[in-house]
Amino acid sequence: MENMENVGTQKIHPAEIMIKAMAMEIASDDIFLHGLASPLPALAMHLAKQTHAPDVVYLNVADALDPDPNEYKLCPSSADPRHAVNTIAIVELLETFDLAMKGKQLGMFLGGAQIDSRANTNLTCIGSYESPKVKLPGGAATAFLTPLVKKLVLWTTNHSKRVFVEKVDFITGLGYEEGKDKEVTVITNLAVFKAGKEGLILKSVHPGVTVDEVIENMSFKPYVEGEVPTTPAPTEDELELIRKLDLDGIRFSEFKR
Amino acid sequence: MKEKLVDAEKAVELINDGDSITFSGVSMVRVPMSFIREIIKAGKKDLYLIDREPGIDFDILIAAKAVRKVRFAMVGFELFGLAPNFRKAAESKEIEWIEDTCGAITNALRAGASGMPFVVVKGILGTDLVEIHEKEGTWKVIKDPFSGEEILAVKAVNPDVAVIHVQKADRYGNASIEGSRFEDVYKAKGAKKLIITAEEIVDTDYFRKYPERNTIPYFYADAVIHMPKGAYPTACPNYYPPDYEEIRRYLAMCREGKVEEYIKEWIGGR
Repeated sequence: MENMENVGTQKIHPAEIMIKAMAMEIASDDIFLHGLASPLPALAMHLAKQTHAPDVVYLNVADALDPDPNEYKLCPSSADPRHAVNTIAIVELLETFDLAMKGKQLGMFLGGAQIDSRANTNLTCIGSYESPKVKLPGGAATAFLTPLVKKLVLWTTNHSKRVFVEKVDFITGLGYEEGKDKEVTVITNLAVFKAGKEGLILKSVHPGVTVDEVIENMSFKPYVEGEVPTTPAPTEDELELIRKLDLDGIRFSEFKR
Repeated sequence: MKEKLVDAEKAVELINDGDSITFSGVSMVRVPMSFIREIIKAGKKDLYLIDREPGIDFDILIAAKAVRKVRFAMVGFELFGLAPNFRKAAESKEIEWIEDTCGAITNALRAGASGMPFVVVKGILGTDLVEIHEKEGTWKVIKDPFSGEEILAVKAVNPDVAVIHVQKADRYGNASIEGSRFEDVYKAKGAKKLIITAEEIVDTDYFRKYPERNTIPYFYADAVIHMPKGAYPTACPNYYPPDYEEIRRYLAMCREGKVEEYIKEWIGGR
């Protein structure tokens, strides 16, 4: 109930709940990367690094290592040079990919236009590849990184039947893979899931969201066991930190469609 | 060292209709937009564009009917939405397209720069992209000759032409990329022809003083063009940020069906 009150008094946006949830997936001995079109992951990585995960290796699509949070300004393109402000080194994306191939403790944030119960994702096309109804932008690093990373954090700001489908039209990325050292998390505007043998396992619902609401907006049934906890909302200090990095409110852009 | 400094009209003659081309930068950063304008002006046709994460460059060339085929891992405008002209042309089959994935295309470019015929890349197996590329002849699932495990062989990419926008170059083609390099050094070294466009033409002494800043030495280049604001409206690190308003204006005009008007105005302007 504490979280609900927080929401009431501070008007916490789902974007900020998601940022906090994403940050919670990051540990201090991880290496984390974010790609293009990734305002929420960029902020989550800063938040984690400035709170519980100070030693996380922060890498981004602007080829920057540990950009300076005091000078950082979140911009519409995730590769904006301002995301490399006071970087300690330029690390080419290829070099970060080498870390993935070497089996390092790499985590990555990726999206999904369609996500199935195994957390496989489609970012390639709606309909067939040969004659798509919609040609989506493409999976970027998805096909390459999803089988290699140790932590895969998928996110969507559109928790709906259209996104959570029984079968993706095209497998751009692999989700849960049995027996592999790979943790798969799905974070939406309503809830947090882990992918496992049982399918998507509902781990928490955001403040003010019901379990029914979460299930009604999916084409398949997630695995729900017992009382589902509430996703922790960011504290006042954490919110302040997020807002300082994103004075223009870029974090809300994905919600305006 | 040979003189390579030429004007844009001369350099664009290095491109033949039907060529495969790759451009520097990603998304809205350090894309050689001024040279792309010259490609459109020169009426080049049937180009095959290859890149990791392009945006306005692919989209505007497609709108200008200069493109036969595209290969990319992602093409779009990030938070501003899908690439309208790419999407339309792909869905209506006006152009051919093949989707790639960042780890494969970047390694293919690095292999191209190294003179390797192919490179093995981990990951990817199990995704639907494998079948697409096996059909295309760009990837092949092979057995690791040492471990016997399945692994993906990715054919090297050596584009006919690379156009790389840099912050500083001299008249002989020594070129300095400041800040993020992306795969641009490999693109430059793997392409059959290299065109450098530069914010500033500096004296060769600059490179003698700071040889570590010479990211692409002179012997790779076929042409150097002085193009201040040559990446605009995309960013050029240490020079200018992306002009998001201009990129939004492009998209708005595309959505209103006025892309031809935009291109006409863009070609006419300086």
